[in-house]
Amino acid sequence: MAGSALRRLMAEYKQLTLDPPEGIVAGPISEDNFFEWEALIAGPEGTCFEGGVFPARLVFPPDYPLSPPKMKFICDMFHPNIFADGRVCISILHAPGDDPMGYELSAERWSPVQSVEKILLSVVSMLAEPNDESGANVDAAIMWRERREEFNQIARRLVRKTLGLPT
Amino acid sequence: MEPKDEEIMKQQREIEKEVCDSTPLVSEKISLSCLRTEYMGDDVFSAKIQDLLKKYKFIRRTRPDGNCFFRAFAYSYLEYLITNYTAYQEFRKLAESSKDKLVELGFPRFTLEDFHETFMEVIKRVDPDCTGAEGSEKLQNELHQIFNEQGYSDYVVVYLRLITSGKLQEEAEFYQNFIEGSFTIEEFRHQEVEPMYKESDHIHIIALCTAIGAGVRVEYLDRGEGSTVKAHDFPEGSEPKVYLIYRPGHYDILYPN
Repeated sequence: MAGSALRRLMAEYKQLTLDPPEGIVAGPISEDNFFEWEALIAGPEGTCFEGGVFPARLVFPPDYPLSPPKMKFICDMFHPNIFADGRVCISILHAPGDDPMGYELSAERWSPVQSVEKILLSVVSMLAEPNDESGANVDAAIMWRERREEFNQIARRLVRKTLGLPT
Repeated sequence: MEPKDEEIMKQQREIEKEVCDSTPLVSEKISLSCLRTEYMGDDVFSAKIQDLLKKYKFIRRTRPDGNCFFRAFAYSYLEYLITNYTAYQEFRKLAESSKDKLVELGFPRFTLEDFHETFMEVIKRVDPDCTGAEGSEKLQNELHQIFNEQGYSDYVVVYLRLITSGKLQEEAEFYQNFIEGSFTIEEFRHQEVEPMYKESDHIHIIALCTAIGAGVRVEYLDRGEGSTVKAHDFPEGSEPKVYLIYRPGHYDILYPN
């Protein structure tokens, strides 16, 4: 069928498997349902999240890629752009007009030529460089800005937790 | 914002969505005089509709989902092409080569290909050379069916949006002059052209018509002065192949006498 979300998701999965970007693994949780994926994201090197492996879920709408998926971390996270319940809040996950955080004009938005890979790469950049202007987690945003060492300590504890090490 | 306003906005959106979903993506041809009933008691519009009826007989409605210009344009232009084999072939060549051009302009090949493939499939399905004796009526039905199948219809819209965006980038210096506010051409393309459901303005129309080389005449049914409907040809001075009616916020297809 033409214009099929399923066809596109299968193609993206194949592409991500053949040529995976560094530090990212992603694919459907079960081959029976291509609309729910799990992703594992390695904390970027040289940041307080380095060494961690953070699991997340992606849920795709029936009209994907016309509309973007939703993304949620399923491990404990503490980050200015991640809600307390794990939802990721970055501009590429929103179409223009759908603007809960008042993103800047120049911020990258969802459009049908974006892809899962682009989203995951944006999330990696987000982990490395939080955007404290659009605070999904205000406490984290303030701590990141004003008490960086304390923020880094929490991040390092989360890293150990994702690895199953004592915190 | 007060939570109350948010609630009202949410309801408003729900109503809009309901109206939207209950309209077919592209309707059958309807007698243009149906607009008379729609604007009964509205003197300004009634006079203008009377004027419009001198030139046009039918209207074909499109779903008011923000994609109406692109959908109406694609439908109407293909409708013209299925009756004009030379123009069809030229367009098919242009469509075929458009992918490489967009890749050169920096669009990601992987996701672009998906839309291009479907776009080409639609064009091939209405090839005037493959119909045999039944001729254009069969093609017309095929076209109508394709455009009311969301998967195909929306992918055609996406691809035209990408062609439009590509044109804006290719001639960024020229189009920058048309952009209001503080948008750069880059921001405008990503925010106002490429995403689905974003409404079209003159700049979208000019860029798309120029990229494809197809003339479009738009008749403006609005509250502007006078009792005649003002028409505008894009690109200026071209011979129109596609006729559209614009009512504030929405485009439908027109059929001249």
